[in-house]
Amino acid sequence: MPSSPNSFDRILGALAQAGRVLAGRQIAGRGVTVFPDDIFLVSYPRSGNTWMRFLLANLIYPNQPATFSNIESRIPEIYFNPDRFMRQFPRPRLLKSHECFQPHYPRVIYLVRDPRDVAISFYHHHVKARNLPDGYPLVDFVPRFLVGEFDPKFGSWRDNVLSWTVLRGSNPAFLQIRYEDLQRDPVHELAKVVEFLERSSFPKIDSSTEAFERAIALSSPERMRALEQKEAGTWVLTKGTRKDKPFVRSATVGGWKSQLAPESIVAIESAWGDVMQNLGYGLVSTPSPTAVEAISQSGSPS
Amino acid sequence: MNNTLRRISGLIQHAGKIIDVAFDRSPAGRNLTVLPGDIFIVSYPKSGNTWTRFLIGNLIYQDTPITFANVESRLPSLYVHSDRALRKLPRILKSHDCFDPRYRTVIYIVRDPRDVVVSAYHYAVKLGILPNNHGMEEFVPRLLDGSFDSGLLVNPRWGSWYDHVASWLAMQHNRKFLLLRYEDMLDDPQRELAKVADFLQLEASPERLARAVQLSSADHMRELEKKQAAEWSLTKNTRPDMAFVRQAKQGSWKSELPRRAVADIESTWGSLMRKLGYVLVMDADADRELIRH
Repeated sequence: MPSSPNSFDRILGALAQAGRVLAGRQIAGRGVTVFPDDIFLVSYPRSGNTWMRFLLANLIYPNQPATFSNIESRIPEIYFNPDRFMRQFPRPRLLKSHECFQPHYPRVIYLVRDPRDVAISFYHHHVKARNLPDGYPLVDFVPRFLVGEFDPKFGSWRDNVLSWTVLRGSNPAFLQIRYEDLQRDPVHELAKVVEFLERSSFPKIDSSTEAFERAIALSSPERMRALEQKEAGTWVLTKGTRKDKPFVRSATVGGWKSQLAPESIVAIESAWGDVMQNLGYGLVSTPSPTAVEAISQSGSPS
Repeated sequence: MNNTLRRISGLIQHAGKIIDVAFDRSPAGRNLTVLPGDIFIVSYPKSGNTWTRFLIGNLIYQDTPITFANVESRLPSLYVHSDRALRKLPRILKSHDCFDPRYRTVIYIVRDPRDVVVSAYHYAVKLGILPNNHGMEEFVPRLLDGSFDSGLLVNPRWGSWYDHVASWLAMQHNRKFLLLRYEDMLDDPQRELAKVADFLQLEASPERLARAVQLSSADHMRELEKKQAAEWSLTKNTRPDMAFVRQAKQGSWKSELPRRAVADIESTWGSLMRKLGYVLVMDADADRELIRH
């Protein structure tokens, strides 16, 4: 719980806020204006959302490769950009969000990643952001990750994934992409996304194999790492974080097998095993006794 | 001239908004700062949330009964107070928000959507959103897809009835969650309030429960509304010739809701309605059809 600010801080805060409102620079966040033709790129944090943004920006704007400096004016993230800025975007807009189920998001591309890998990536992210001290044990982070301690408004990984898949899983305005599939066969997964965008009255996108391969090459971890080295000081997500730790990290699948302690694996699998299995993430510890009640109990409207 | 006036009034409005936001005076809503220990009374609109607030409030506060004049300071609504004002108020909070992962303790009230629609229609007329002669046939489809946006009554951010109920039911695990059906509360309010007392670990002798039920009866609430409608944020500036506390019963859809609207609701939300134990006309018709053949 944050300590209550003293009155001087409060007045300063109020003035800063008044300035932002006056200048129309309030960060959109949950209050983002939603247009009926908006398409949201949603995921729990550290599930490949930035990579997907690069892939799509490189496909949609083939003449101006995506960089950390231009990505926020192509596919902006709602937590760092003012509503007024985003309202002026060409429609239909593509917006990045980490929210749990939002009933008023008209179309959603949902990215999901194996939570055992998310745990590792999130851990390094919090060290980079100075939320965790250097050398903080990963094994101590996992229980805090399980209860969604760091970004409570995004929920836990389970809250985020389950709320979307239960409510929109069988809706044609919802497309789910697994990070692991995107790694394995990016052309195939991107084709699904492009098909979804075009169904959502998005302007025609060049979907030749060459265009896909070019976009994939322009969004490779190597290129993104090189861009990050140049631009980390200006990009909203990396500004003010530790420079010795990269945002674009290993970009791999299955790192948990060697990096997570057995007890951490057991903890994640026993808390979320039901949802993980439903997404095709095989468990290595004894399967949890709880069946996927929530999913089997609530179907979608007939 | 007109333009200048419009610009000035726009500026004044903008300035007012700046002051509200800067000093944290706009209603908290989804921007609420959730504190550990918060208790939420959650429902889709027109599902018995105010009645539940009266029941719980009258159980907790043994000194003065809950009225429309004090309910917002005892069991405050997220849509009446600012986040900052709420920090100084008791934290049993009324919410109409769709699933929010930060809510850790939730009392969720669900009501037959066919009755919800009838109630919402009358409230919309009371609020002046719909004209007196507006047909229910036209209102129902707008409510069904969750796009009807009236601020006070429904809001796309709260989702449709289906999104609202299904999101909370699906996410009830890993949090403290109590599901109440409005119809069960009508059937035996004392029994249902005892469940709440048990859930919140409140002292609840039969006498206390009976007192709370008595002080929250529809008749009593109607009397209070007559006296206090102008003081309460939900009735202030609404049509005084129509009541907020209306029939407080179940099944009025059978006489008030057009057949077509019943069929629309059941074909859109039927699966979830069945799970909640609401008997569908559609199913009864199908059964009769079977018997005939």
